[in-house]
Amino acid sequence: MVKNRSESILDLKCFRKVMLIFGICILLIIQNSFQGLAASVINSYRSDGLQHKTVTGHVLAVNNTPLAGVNIIEKGTTNGVISGPDGKFSIAVSSGNSILTFSFIGFEVKDVVVGDQTNLEITLDESLTGLNEVIVIGYGTARKKDVTGSVASIGAGTLQQVQTSNMISGLQGRAAGIDIVNNSTQPGSSGQIRIRGNRQMATTSGASDAVDAPLLVVDGIPFGGSITDISTNDIENIDILKDASATAIYGSRGAGGVILVTTKRGKAGKPVFNYNVYYGISNATGFYHVFDGPQYAKYKDEAKAGNGGSSSYGLSTAEQDGLTNGTSTDWQKLIYRQGSTVEHQLSVSGGTGGTKYSFGGSYYSEEGIVPGQDFSRFSLRTTIDHQISKRLRAGINTMNTLSYSNAGGNPVSGLCRLSPLVAPYLPDGTLNQTPLTGLLDNLTVNPLTIITNAASIKNLTRRIRTFNSLYGEWDIIDALKYRINVGLDYRQDQNDNYMGPNTMYNTNTTLDKATEYVGNAEAWTYTIENLLTYDKTFLGKHRVTFTGLYSIQKDHSLGNQFNGTGIIADYLQDYNLNLANTLTANNGTFTERGLISYMGRLNYSYDGRYLLTATVRRDGASVLSKGHQYFTYPALALAWNISNEQFMKNIKPISNLKLRGGWGVTSNQGINPYATLGVLGVDFYNYGSTPAGNNPGFLVQNLANKSLTWASTSQFNIGVDFGLFNERFTGSIELYQQKTKDILLSMTLPPSNGASSIVVNAGKTQGKGVEITLGATIIEMKNGFKWSADMNFSMNREKIVALQDPNLKEDIGNGWFVGQPLSVIYDGVKLGIWQIADSVQAAVYGCKPGQIRIKDLNGDNILNGSDRTVIGNFEPKWIGGMTNRFSFKGIDLTFVAYARMGQTVVVPYFMTDGGANGYPFFNNSRVNSLYRDYWTRTNPTNAFPRPDAGSDNVKYSSTLGYLDGSFIKARSISLGYNLPSSLLSHINVSSLRLYVTCLNPFIIYSPFVKNGYGLDPEGNGYGGVSNSTLGGTPVPGRAITVNLNAPPTRQFQFGLNMNF
Amino acid sequence: MKRYIKSLLFLLLTIVLMLANCTKILDEQPRASVTPDYFTTPGGVLGGITGVYSDMRNLWGTEGFLNMVVGGTDEVLKGGSGNPNFFEYGIVNSDIADLWRIAYQDINTINGVLQYGATVALPDATRLQYLAQAKFLRAFYYFYLVQTYGDVPLHVTFLSNASTADSRASIADVYAQIITDLTEAADQLPAVPTAPFLGKAATSASAKYLLAKAYLTRGWSGAAVSGDFQAAYNLCVDLITNKATYGIDLWQDYASVNIKANDYGKEVLFVIDHSTDLKYGEYTTGSAASGPKENKSNFYFRPNYPTINANYPASGGSSVMIRDIPNGRPFIRVRPNGPYLINQAFAERVNDSRWDNTFQVAWIANNGAITTPRGILTPAVDTAIWTPPFEVTPARRAAFKGIIVTPSGAPKNDPTSKSSWDPAMFPSMKKYDDATRAQLNDGSTRPFVMFKFSEVYLIAAEAAFKGGGTLQNAADMLNVLRQRAAYRSNKSAAQNTAAAAAMTITPAQVTLDFILDERTRELYGEYQRWWDLVRTQTLSARLNTWNKLEAYPKYSASNPPNAFALRPIPQTQIDLVTQGPAFPQNPGY
Repeated sequence: MVKNRSESILDLKCFRKVMLIFGICILLIIQNSFQGLAASVINSYRSDGLQHKTVTGHVLAVNNTPLAGVNIIEKGTTNGVISGPDGKFSIAVSSGNSILTFSFIGFEVKDVVVGDQTNLEITLDESLTGLNEVIVIGYGTARKKDVTGSVASIGAGTLQQVQTSNMISGLQGRAAGIDIVNNSTQPGSSGQIRIRGNRQMATTSGASDAVDAPLLVVDGIPFGGSITDISTNDIENIDILKDASATAIYGSRGAGGVILVTTKRGKAGKPVFNYNVYYGISNATGFYHVFDGPQYAKYKDEAKAGNGGSSSYGLSTAEQDGLTNGTSTDWQKLIYRQGSTVEHQLSVSGGTGGTKYSFGGSYYSEEGIVPGQDFSRFSLRTTIDHQISKRLRAGINTMNTLSYSNAGGNPVSGLCRLSPLVAPYLPDGTLNQTPLTGLLDNLTVNPLTIITNAASIKNLTRRIRTFNSLYGEWDIIDALKYRINVGLDYRQDQNDNYMGPNTMYNTNTTLDKATEYVGNAEAWTYTIENLLTYDKTFLGKHRVTFTGLYSIQKDHSLGNQFNGTGIIADYLQDYNLNLANTLTANNGTFTERGLISYMGRLNYSYDGRYLLTATVRRDGASVLSKGHQYFTYPALALAWNISNEQFMKNIKPISNLKLRGGWGVTSNQGINPYATLGVLGVDFYNYGSTPAGNNPGFLVQNLANKSLTWASTSQFNIGVDFGLFNERFTGSIELYQQKTKDILLSMTLPPSNGASSIVVNAGKTQGKGVEITLGATIIEMKNGFKWSADMNFSMNREKIVALQDPNLKEDIGNGWFVGQPLSVIYDGVKLGIWQIADSVQAAVYGCKPGQIRIKDLNGDNILNGSDRTVIGNFEPKWIGGMTNRFSFKGIDLTFVAYARMGQTVVVPYFMTDGGANGYPFFNNSRVNSLYRDYWTRTNPTNAFPRPDAGSDNVKYSSTLGYLDGSFIKARSISLGYNLPSSLLSHINVSSLRLYVTCLNPFIIYSPFVKNGYGLDPEGNGYGGVSNSTLGGTPVPGRAITVNLNAPPTRQFQFGLNMNF
Repeated sequence: MKRYIKSLLFLLLTIVLMLANCTKILDEQPRASVTPDYFTTPGGVLGGITGVYSDMRNLWGTEGFLNMVVGGTDEVLKGGSGNPNFFEYGIVNSDIADLWRIAYQDINTINGVLQYGATVALPDATRLQYLAQAKFLRAFYYFYLVQTYGDVPLHVTFLSNASTADSRASIADVYAQIITDLTEAADQLPAVPTAPFLGKAATSASAKYLLAKAYLTRGWSGAAVSGDFQAAYNLCVDLITNKATYGIDLWQDYASVNIKANDYGKEVLFVIDHSTDLKYGEYTTGSAASGPKENKSNFYFRPNYPTINANYPASGGSSVMIRDIPNGRPFIRVRPNGPYLINQAFAERVNDSRWDNTFQVAWIANNGAITTPRGILTPAVDTAIWTPPFEVTPARRAAFKGIIVTPSGAPKNDPTSKSSWDPAMFPSMKKYDDATRAQLNDGSTRPFVMFKFSEVYLIAAEAAFKGGGTLQNAADMLNVLRQRAAYRSNKSAAQNTAAAAAMTITPAQVTLDFILDERTRELYGEYQRWWDLVRTQTLSARLNTWNKLEAYPKYSASNPPNAFALRPIPQTQIDLVTQGPAFPQNPGY
């Protein structure tokens, strides 16, 4: 039975390999046939007789070295060639009026009128500044120098410096105002992203993400679901729209900022093969520091003393023996393994004549440090851009992904809780199956069973995704263009879960106690966008661009889940639920939402000096109440390129100076479908013991609000972009202020009203901040040594301005306080521990020495709800990132650091409320727990209370877990070597780069880690916080907390990137 | 021309896509959730009632609820893993919120049932039955709310507008509503369970039981109305006289009362149903005590028998027992209060069978042949652990192979262990045992028995004692139960008759304390005690007498005698009332 499981793993691995080889073969075949196809396409164009003049020439850089691979295109046509290795080219053009456009990465684009010339010598200027760089601004593009809003742009090179399974974690610390915090340590997880802080008051993490997370747009199409479906290597560029004047074009979708992802597409020219591979190994950066054997025994003794000498948690015989013979098992060390990551990516791209193409496949696989946790992904991608006729273009991008994610189980808290005084193996070498025999927790099963009995553990999510975007473009007249974008995104998830008996996760011993689970979910989104663009320059100086949009979008999802209990044989797992002893269905899910949008945008530029952008968008959303479904968003932005003014020409040090200002309104429809209709809670009940009495039941739990409308955010942004000393130093400074009103929030009602919550348009928030981005080439030496650095810094201050009732200053139940950030900690103030000398005073509060001492804020000698106050929040005082690059003769070294300072971190594993929250049995010594400086009669510390075997519920323990979460981390160090072309040309390889990267090399500064409270202050999950003994929930469930999850890892990667 | 056609086709396709059905895109049609409109259908009205019954599973059988109504009384001490907050009157805010929240959530749903049920298309008889159920349930929750919190908000109409304001109504108003609802329910409910409300759902008898208790409780309270005790007594007499009509009666043997087979038997008036059905019973099997709707009453009263080692009280040696299904899952939350039970309530253990039928005191060896200092235990034969309600001689201890834990705490004899056996090992209350559940750690599959016919006699006795009848009436009522308790199936008729005679009391013996002791004998651990002591205003006095080390000290500090006779208003309620006057807390918190 066991064997069968491993066979199926083998099958899967085998299947993956076959898929990979198969993919590569297909690529090679397609490459050959495509070249033939491309040639015939070119011939077909030749044969129509349009070309009748041949121009030859060569392209040089300023230093007179020939440039190979330059794109040369006859403007307004599909006719193009690429310069040869010596920079020479030959192209047939239609007439002397033809204009040739020369473009090459890293150089300025140059247009040349052919005229009478037949032999051209073209010199391209290196693009010293990124000002001509094209930036995606949503429903179009603009040159950086023409942008009026606040946009951060991150290129593929930057992203690839930190290879991760998803691009979001690669963005950490790379752009000002983008705050990314880890919220999981599972393989394949992403993080929580906020651009310029939170705006909306949400009650849960899911709701918070729904309203405040940025919109992700891939090739113009909104991208739902997991970002891990996109391979970082497929990304050409990421542009992040931050201010409202830029995001207003996304209207109701744009309030949280917009991340625009552009994927790689084919470029005209010979086929270019790109092969990317890296292999990484990862290890835990450390283990949770728990009591060792003797410390654990002492802790139990102290807990017994703390309970007046009695304890239900004495040592078992085995533990007693273990103490005598020096057993001190480090369970974490036994379980965690070395993780690994591997990615192969092969692609080919090119284009000739009217067609540009790219296609490729990749395989990504990650094994986590927790046995049983892994993630793998296969993807195939194709892009085709085709010039159908002189005025018609069409193209497609199709990304197809298949991923398997095995989440295994979470052994972490079990490992920390298990007694160190028992041995993992029995003297005869067999596994000590139930190491806690003779104790209250005698059923606990040895954690090593998750390795020895891995075939009984399955927690698999299989996802198929196909993300497709098609476009057609029609040049109606020269300046007027119509474009249609159609997006279709389809995802299908299947969950397969099996927990057989005799493992750490299912401690039962018989197969009738196995559990099985099968879930299926599908989701699709379609988007249809119609765009009209008019772009014309009048009288040489007035450039007008108008964009009009009409679009509709529909999202759909549904799911069904079934649970089984018991199975007749282990190998059946969840494959045939009909063989389960019992079967139940979970609630099915179904949601649909629709959005209709109209948008108009006018860009006007006078002489490249004065720029104006005006936008209006109108959105209608199905999730809002009838009659309140539409909302209009205006935006206006102005910019002044001061450096283009005549009077600046003489001020040589300043190479670029631009002033920008913008205002806009964006909004949010971030409520769940059907919130305006209301939902009944579903229960079941059996009247009596016969099926005749079985009935479904319903409860009113939430109230419907029939007048829900939009929340809206208005934002002002002022920015300065500057470049000094010929762009050797560049930078920008942004200041913004935003106000959000009519916030859609789920308002918790007093329980006595009978309904728990209602969604309302209420509340106002405000945010303001500063963002500074600097770039500099610090050293550039003649011998080729170069040191450049990028730095970003941002501060955001969010606060609640008004609650549902204008007179209300605090809504404790929901954790909202006027004047405070959107999520705060509201609890008692821990002064320390009651000492023996204070026992009389302690008794006033019903406490005794060794217990937590809380400040009696109102001095009434009673500790209750009115002694709570705001004692911290999750908003950092500032965040910053720094990237240093050193290069010398093909060798480069990159170092990325990231800081998030001044926020409070919440650590549930130092808390307990006797219920499901915090660390169950935290201070009563029933189980092992984290090492800490606890109070005893001889150790009168103020840090942690006295252990007490008599109490599951440590009074005021929630206050133990609020700690300084500031940190500065080294994100990555990467060392690369580009082999010289002299070497590579012999083997027909155009470039080859080898690199070594270390991710998460070390933590530079963190009081949390330094004090031994944990491994990483950054967070790894949500909630888990104890209720406050003073009443209420001190930390809202939406806050990221540091839970007892898998330790963070340090990863070394070895990679190769080759073009040929 | 060719290209022109291409353009045309392209344009055509575009137009088709542009005109894609886009007005409908803003309409909503839920398909996997039930909208409140369903309430306006017959199925919705029944579903609302059922939802409320189902929601009760979130209270009775849960640990928080156990702490609230069992903890901090004269009957129990905190077990080794118990929560000191209730047992010792510490801070209780965080554990008190469930009853409040669930009661009001259910009351609101019931108000919806009453509103829509009045007009929805139903046969008159069915409508009457549904509405009577609803009235019963509304009164049921208000009765527990008013006893627990005192003045509470009184809502009798379905909530249609969200409000963050609320205020408390006087207990007089709340009792008036309870009595109105229950009087109507008692008239309109059928005498015996009738489909669809099968099993032991509300009937006319259970409504009368609750009404009697409501009169009794109001009679004791500051909102007393003259005639309350009389009304309570009369209702009890009505139930006893007409017991055949209601299909109710007492079992001959007290041992039959609390066994699984009789959960739907003649002595039971009303239960909260549970079953092994994963769907309708909302039963979770194999889970780690996580299902909030599980009936875990079979866990809380258990001692930590698997940790008692062979050398006890010294350390070392193997465990003499292992956890198994018949002996149950040891939660160690509640420990019997030895001094009160042994010396007072169950001082009579010969003629009265109820001590023996309430507690398990012996554990038969089940962990192989374990060697203790006094011999080898034979599995399934020898008693491995014995927790007698008396002290034993050293000679007897030496002759006993297993472990003996006596009430004085001996052999541990630790003066700080508050006596009453050992916090980890004590007699186990067995009324809620469920030996037929599937897995060791599973909650009980038995229904939670709420109202029993036997308590009608106790209510009648208390009402008579308080003036609703004569002392003779009170003694008569108590004697019915006492004489029944004298019966043992393994004794001869003559022996039983003699025992019954010995158990019979005279009117002169009827005192309030006697009635309260009798309630312990009959109903020990049945989730009533805290309310009993609060109702009879004896909480402080009886804790002073019987629970001085654990529960009483908080009283003696600086609080008036009847402080803590109300539980605190949940802090969430106070925090969330953000409009209008602040929601006041009960005194002492």
